[in-house]
Amino acid sequence: MLSAIVIVGPETREEEENCIAAGEVAATPPRAESEIQQGTPLVCVEILGRSVVTRLVGELRRAGVDQIAMVENDSGAPKDAVIDSAAKIELGSPELVSPELVSPEKVAQEVTRQVLTFKESGVEAILVGRVGAYVDMDFKDAFQFHREQGQAVTRAFDKEGPLDLWVIDPAWVSDGMDTLATLRAAEPVRYFVRGYVNRLEHPRDLRRLVVDGLTSRCGLRPQGSEIRPGVWTDEGAQVHRDARIVAPAFIGRGARIGEQCLITRCSNIESNSQVDYGTAVEDSSILPNSYVGIGLDLSHSIVDGNNLLNLERGVTVEIADPCVIRQNRVPQQEKNFQSPVAFGLGSAQVSPVEEGLR
Amino acid sequence: MLTSGPVVVMQLPEQLNLDGVRTFLPELEPLLECHRPRIVLDCSQVRYIDSAGVEMMLHCLEEAMKRDGDLKLAALSPESEVILELMRVARVFEAFASSDEAVRSFNAVPAEAVPQDAPWVANVFGEIGALKQAS
Repeated sequence: MLSAIVIVGPETREEEENCIAAGEVAATPPRAESEIQQGTPLVCVEILGRSVVTRLVGELRRAGVDQIAMVENDSGAPKDAVIDSAAKIELGSPELVSPELVSPEKVAQEVTRQVLTFKESGVEAILVGRVGAYVDMDFKDAFQFHREQGQAVTRAFDKEGPLDLWVIDPAWVSDGMDTLATLRAAEPVRYFVRGYVNRLEHPRDLRRLVVDGLTSRCGLRPQGSEIRPGVWTDEGAQVHRDARIVAPAFIGRGARIGEQCLITRCSNIESNSQVDYGTAVEDSSILPNSYVGIGLDLSHSIVDGNNLLNLERGVTVEIADPCVIRQNRVPQQEKNFQSPVAFGLGSAQVSPVEEGLR
Repeated sequence: MLTSGPVVVMQLPEQLNLDGVRTFLPELEPLLECHRPRIVLDCSQVRYIDSAGVEMMLHCLEEAMKRDGDLKLAALSPESEVILELMRVARVFEAFASSDEAVRSFNAVPAEAVPQDAPWVANVFGEIGALKQAS
């Protein structure tokens, strides 16, 4: 039986100090919080339909991990933003442990507590990971490697150095141990990740991950279906017949693209977002529940509600004019997409943008 | 208000919203009524700009061009540039890093050198009209 403990949220000061004490100053990863979603780790931001955390949970399940515990660093971000609804569905199965929201200083204790709980249930190996990067990794292979090496601790590395992913023997952990600090100080067996790694240290990396996902340079696949080569749409997405979507592009769940719009150069419009009449979106990401107004020219940017991060200039602009960009109001009934896909792209099946959402 | 020869440099207010426009526009409008107005709007103080501010800039540019003049922008912050680009108006204005550069640019190419019936004049007016309608 295999288990995993997934830590979500930024590293705490205490952990950083432990890290320094363990002589790993250079290995301390920088904080990867979105500049536009205040306090929300980038791994929790929905891209191409699902967040990196959600995808990781899915990957672990596919690798045969029976129990997954999520330890969430209560960094002040809304809980829903940290573990999105899709992750909750994954965690809804009886084998999985509900997410634990703990204060930053208690993350280490909570990890140890979870390890000891899994140890008592007789698991063979435990994967301990802080989700800070997107990693294309074969977890089955990592567990197999750990078994073959016969050592207590195996740590994942890529060409740039160590990743915050360990496979440990439960017997190695004892009561009262600071598991994370000890893991960092330990001399582990190195498991080299040959797949794609994006450390998501800056929102720019989030854009890169979107581009790499849309151009198949990594294992991150857009949700929904590929309605024509390079154009993915998730359920409930609506594109006006006079809008143009240039591949590769992604239109998320319930997103609406208005008349005369242009979505181009690896842009992604995430769930329940709306791009209004005549706006061009080029090399940009519109994060969930965002509205982009009429006749705009959006390029090299990430939009989240009324915040716009221009990656070319490296500036974040908060726009107070709701006609330009704003948080989209999503009617309650549209949050559940049980109905069949209503989608028209260059066909007669058209769902024009509703006035009510403007 | 600062003057530099025939070129007038106006400092835009910190808040270029409807209130800011209501205060600023009456100061600027008389300057636009002369022949060949040459205006530089110094944006170094601007911290907030909305569609009312953008519309005022377009209106002033249109008025200046009607009288064979021009209106240029100086010292735009990266944030203001992002907003002007987002609203598709950045390409309509000549923008400079400083007011001095903007003032010098008026002398670099005399306005007389460009024939008034040049086809681009009509095109630019058309573009401004469309942009104003959209905003």
